[in-house]
Order: sequence, then structure tokens, then C-alpha cells
Amino acid sequence: MSLLSCDSLTKNFDGVEALSGFSCAVKEGEIVGLIGPNGAGKTTLFNVLTGFIVADGGQASFQGKKITGKPPYQLARMGITRTFQILRLIKRLTVLDNALICFQNQPGERLGNIFFRWRLSARQEAANREEAIALLQQYGLGDKLHDLADALSYGQQKLLSMICCLSASANLILLDEPVAGIAPEMIEKILDMIKGLPAQGKTIVLIEHNMEAISQVCDRVIFMDAGEKICEGTPGEVRNDHRVIEAYLE
Amino acid sequence: MEYLLHIFVLIGIYVILSVSLNLIAGYTGILSIAHAAFYGVGAYVAALMALKLQTPFLSNVFCAIILTGIFGVIVGVPSLRIRDDYFVIATFAFQVITFSVLNNWVSITSGPMGLPAIPQPEIFGWKVSSHWEFLALVGVFAVLAFLVTRRIVESPFGRVLKAIREDEVFALAAGKNVAAYKVLVFVIGAAMAAVAGSLYATYITYIDPTSFTVMESIFIISIVIIGGAGNLWGSVLGAVVLVVLPEALRFIGLPNSVAANVRQIIYGALLVAFMMWRPQGFLGEYTFRKGDQG
Amino acid sequence: MIQQIIVNGAISGSVILLIAIGFGIIFRSARFFHFAHGAVLVVAPYAAFQTMKWVALPLVLVLPVAIMTATALGTGIEVFVYRPLRHRKAGSPILLIASLGIYIVIQNVVSLCFGDDTKSIRTRIVSPGYDLYGARITGIQFITICVAIIITVGILILMKQTKLGIAFRAVANDPKLARTAGIETDSVILWSFVLGSAFASVGGVLMAMDTDMTPTMGMRALMMGVVAVIIGDVNSFIGIALGSVFLGMALHLGVWKIGTQWQDSIAFLILLIFLLFRPQGFLGKKIKKATV
Repeated sequence: MSLLSCDSLTKNFDGVEALSGFSCAVKEGEIVGLIGPNGAGKTTLFNVLTGFIVADGGQASFQGKKITGKPPYQLARMGITRTFQILRLIKRLTVLDNALICFQNQPGERLGNIFFRWRLSARQEAANREEAIALLQQYGLGDKLHDLADALSYGQQKLLSMICCLSASANLILLDEPVAGIAPEMIEKILDMIKGLPAQGKTIVLIEHNMEAISQVCDRVIFMDAGEKICEGTPGEVRNDHRVIEAYLE
Repeated sequence: MEYLLHIFVLIGIYVILSVSLNLIAGYTGILSIAHAAFYGVGAYVAALMALKLQTPFLSNVFCAIILTGIFGVIVGVPSLRIRDDYFVIATFAFQVITFSVLNNWVSITSGPMGLPAIPQPEIFGWKVSSHWEFLALVGVFAVLAFLVTRRIVESPFGRVLKAIREDEVFALAAGKNVAAYKVLVFVIGAAMAAVAGSLYATYITYIDPTSFTVMESIFIISIVIIGGAGNLWGSVLGAVVLVVLPEALRFIGLPNSVAANVRQIIYGALLVAFMMWRPQGFLGEYTFRKGDQG
Repeated sequence: MIQQIIVNGAISGSVILLIAIGFGIIFRSARFFHFAHGAVLVVAPYAAFQTMKWVALPLVLVLPVAIMTATALGTGIEVFVYRPLRHRKAGSPILLIASLGIYIVIQNVVSLCFGDDTKSIRTRIVSPGYDLYGARITGIQFITICVAIIITVGILILMKQTKLGIAFRAVANDPKLARTAGIETDSVILWSFVLGSAFASVGGVLMAMDTDMTPTMGMRALMMGVVAVIIGDVNSFIGIALGSVFLGMALHLGVWKIGTQWQDSIAFLILLIFLLFRPQGFLGKKIKKATV
């Protein structure tokens, strides 16, 4: 039983076929890499899976439930979170607040509760706070809790955005170029973090251009071009596939 | 002395207005020039109920809150489809249409003639009539408005509002129903403005549409911006400064006919000055600068 | 009756067009709502009024002075307020707010200097006008329509055939790309303000010659222009022209049916309907088709 399955997803933008019949399946606990040249439709796929774009055709389902056509916030609540190719964080909030905001089911986010059940909200907030601090400390941002997210280095910001996925208690985490544009030490850190996630019950799909990183963490790789899946297999298999080699040489 | 009390009552009313608009514009980042429309609708509902139905003050306020809150939904829902600068124009449109209705639906609102002789509040036997008593009444509501808004913005709900302001996409991806939050803040903001309107109507005991024009909306948003968007004490400070400053003009012997224009020139000039040199206002943390992305 | 409505609609549409085209030029290049445009359009007739008081010249000779004054004002606002803000990377909300402040200051200065009562720059007695297929139209109104047509055609030619027009379209479509192509965006924007303010001044003067003037007439005229721009398609001057005529007609039709007091509401209801259901003419700059 796959955790996530895509069936012939299509998406057309002004005549450009961003997705043309893309299908795949992802098993629980896998780390799947998604590679392909620029414009292959990888981010578009992520956008469809997280509800930011509505597919023109085809279906996707998560944990057996249909997810195509649902709005982003509902999908996040179902357990799918993501990072963005162009990093998104709430720069004017603190690191701790960024992590806190991603927790699901916060009673303090409901208007009725903050006035009539303040103690319940406060208690949950305190509990979330503890958890968030623990997470941040675990991944090395413990000394930056009260700094504005703006003040972090780019690599640390990428780390934070991944921690946000964790605080959301997501089961499926879609990472869009998690190690692009950051220093090698930070790349190691993030790759280690990714490797440890299946043990926590998470399933990862990551887009990357960095083939080394892909080979290091991924159980399986899908190669995408012109909106469809060209081939898939272990990192080694895909890297040596002649279609992959051709596509990159063009 | 009476004059001083009058100033304080006005400050109290504008604190309620600015704090509620700050919630929409400063904390959630939705610039709105429709707040005087909420203010006016609240005032007219409360006044009409007091005049025609002779119902007690608190129930008039309650009805004003409900009806204006519904109006808040009507203004808030379009914010989901209309973006940024275009939405500001849309709020302008709502404001003008509201004024037009207040001014032209003569059978209900008496149009430009206004509603005179609005009964003063009576709350469980306490007849509010003197300036001191009004100050107490307005003061209580102003403090209440401040505390309610503070509770909201310091809670996780408020954190989501700030996230929406900074990066709506992030908020969506984090599982927040952004649309619901946006409509809710409009309802809350409108409801509080309705309270201010009810207080104004029963204090001045006469209202007409000219108190609830586009200029009034711009005045209120000026208070929010100059005081500091995203900071509640900023709204208080802004209300004090923008109410007191023009009144101080009277003491320099400026004739009344001129005072109104000079008052507007002052806050118009302050707006420009702050935008050029201190867009976060006195105490604010938000400058209506959209995030780096998008 | 219907001919009068059509004629009135055309007249209103022409006035709106003069304001709208100016506003549209500025909006497309500078990318924000220049509210103070309403103040610029009001300053022109008042400048004419004052000049006629100082120098006993006929209106016709005074008009160039008035138009230049108002144009200088509009351009000055760009040079001293908007441009510095733009260089500081101020976003469009900040520019909009500053523009509101400027409008308020200018309008109140005019009120202070001239009073809020209606002033006139008309030098002739009100004439009954001419007969046009059963409708009445005065000389000034006819001139207004002609001016509107001339300016529209002029702008279209400018945009297609001149260097400035091409540079303008480049900046309007993609300022970053235009800059890398070597186009001086500041200079294009400056010319936008010159042209836009000039057209607004002409519109303001023609309005005053038709129906006299008050200091607050600018805001209303501006908003009609804004509505016309939005409903007509911000990105095309033909669209703006059509939007203006449509709005003019719609207003007079509506007024005929339900009375002049609802004129503003009609215009703004039309605006809201378009913004909600047919936002064609939205500038493409921030249309978030998808997250990146």
C-alpha cells in the first residue's frame, strides 16, 4: 500500500505542458529523490501535491484518500508538508515562533478558546513550546531560539524550514532543493537530518540537482523530464540510465 | 475642564477605532480605507434603535455589533479574491457606497439631515449624561477594546495573523485556513468599530453622514500608521497625537473655519513625512512592505 | 431622451477618459495608485482662476499657465516624494499612503486659499448650447469630447511610434528587464508623470469650464478615472478609453433610472463587480499563479 500515489497527473500552463501524465508511487518510510532538468515539472508536481496548483487531469492520493483538488491548508492538516524552492519563512518572527506556528491543532488558534478557554490554550502552547525547543536544540538551532528568522544564515534558514515540517507532525515531507546554495558543513547536517527521518515515521520526497546528495540519502530516485516520469530505480541505476545521461547532455 | 474631558472622550473613541483597524491592517497586513463605514453603520444602528425602539443602550450596542459584523463579512470576503492595492480600492468603494446609502436612504437614515436628539445611554439605571460619566463609559470600552485586541494578537491566533501578513503561502502550507482568519479579523474589527460608533452617537446625540466619510477612514488609518502598525500602544499614542494636535491649534487662535483644513493638512503631512522617513510610525513593527518573495 | 443620455454619457466619458488616461500612464509605469492625481487635476482650474485675478487676461491665454503649473506639481511630487521612496525600495502600499497624504495636504491648501464654495472660471454666461440630433450640447462639452479623442489617438501613436512610447511599454511590462536593456526607468516614469499630470490638468480645466469647481471635486473625478482604468483593462489605452466611455454611459443611464444621488454608488458597484468577477486588466506583476 503506497503512502502517496500519483496517477497520470497533467497540468497545462498557457500551452506549456508542465505535467503530462505523471505517475508514481511512494512507500511509507522511503526517501525518494526527484531529479530532472530545469522545467521538467518537479516543482509543479510538488505544487499539485500540496494544493497550490490544481491539476488539469489525473489523480493523486495520500494514505488512500484523494488529495487532488483540496486546498493547501487541508493537505497540510492531513499530514503533507513541504519546503519551497525559494525559501519561505516568517522572517519577522523569531525562530521559535516559526517552529511553533507549524504545530497542528493549536487550541489557541481558535478565537473562542483564547477568550473562554484560555488555560487550555496556554497549556497546549507551553507544551508545544517545549517540543519546539527540543526540536530546535536537536538540530542545532537551540541558541537561536529568540533571534528573528531573518538573522539566520541561509543554511540555517533552510534547516529551520525543515524543522517546521517536523513540528507540523507531517507524515509526508516534500523538500524542494533542501541543500541548494548552502555550505558543505550545513549540507552534511541537513542530509544527516533527512537520513534520520524515516526512523521517526516520516516519508520524504526531495527535489535536488545535487547528485551526490541524492546518492547519499535516497533509497530510490525518479527521473523526470518534460512533465513525465522517464525512469526510476536506485540512485546508481538511474544515474547510469542512458536516457538520463542523454537528457543532461542535451 | 469640560473641554478637556471632551478631548479625552474623543481619544477614547479613536483608540477603539484605531486598535480595531490595527488588527486588520497592522497585524494581518490588509490595508483598509473602509473603517469609517463600519463606524458609521454601528453609529446609525445604535442611534436608530435608541430613537425608534427606545431599547436600552447595551442592547443597541449588541445589535450594532451583530449587524456591523455581518457587514464586516461582506467586506472581508472580497479580500480573498482581490489582492493588495486593488483591495484598497475596493475598500474605498465600500466606504463610498456606505456613505451614499447613509446619505440617500432618507426614509431610514434621514439622509443629510441626520438623526438628532439621540437618547443618552442608560445602563442598569445609571444615566450617562455628564462629561465625566461619558469619560468613564468610553474609558471602560476603550480599555476593553485594548485588552481584547491584545489577547488576540498575543495568542497563537495572533501569530497566525502575523504570518499571513508576512507570507500567506507559508501560512497556507503550515495548515492555516487563511481565508477564515481574514474574514474573522474583518468581523472583529467591524464589531469594535460599531461599539465606537454607538458611543459616538450617544455622546454627541446627533449624527449625520458627514462624520463617516472617506476622509474619516483615512484619518483612522493615519492614526494606525503614524502610531505604528502592528503595535497596540502605537494605536493609543497615534490616537492621542492626532486628536490632540489639531485641537491644540484652537489655542493659537486659529478660527474654526480654518481649523478643519489645517487639521487635515497636519495629518496629511504627517502621513507623508512618516512614509518618507519612518514608515513604521512611532512604535510600529510593520511597514506594509511585502516580504521579499512574490 | 435617449439621445441626451448618449450625449451626456459621451461628455462624462470624455472627462473621465482624460483623468483615466493620465492615471493609467502613471500606474503602468510607476506601478502604484497615485491618489494625488486628484489634487493635480484640481490645481489647474484654480491656478487659472488665480492667474486671471492677477493678470486680466482671457481664459484662453491663462490656460497654458494653469496646465503647466499643475503639471509641474505632479512632476514635482514624483521627483521629491515617489522617486526617493522608490529608490529606498518602498513598496506600493507605502507609495499609496504617501500619495493619500499628499492629496489631503494639497486639497486642503486649495480650500484654505480659495474657500470651499464653488468658484468659476467661465467667462461667458451659460449658453443653451447646440442641438445635436435632438440632444443639447454646449460648446465646451463638444470641445471636451474632441480633446478626449485627440489625446487618445495621440497616446496610441506615441506608444507605437516613438522611442519614449516603446521604452514606456518595456517598463510597463517588465521593469527589471527594461533596466537590463538599458532603459532609464526613472526617466520613463518622469515623463509618465509629466504627460499624466498634463492630461489631468486639461481634464480639470475642462470640467471647471463645464460645471465650475470646488476643492473636493478632484477625489471624485479621480475615482471615476480609477474605475474606468480598472474596468477597461489597465494594460491598454484603448481599454481605458472604452472603460471611460462605458462608465460615462452607465452612469448617465443609471442616473436616469434611479437619480443622481446614486451616481457614486453605481460607479463603485460596477468597480466591485469587475474586481470580483472580471479582473481583466489586472497588471500581471504579482499574479501568483503558483508558489515557486
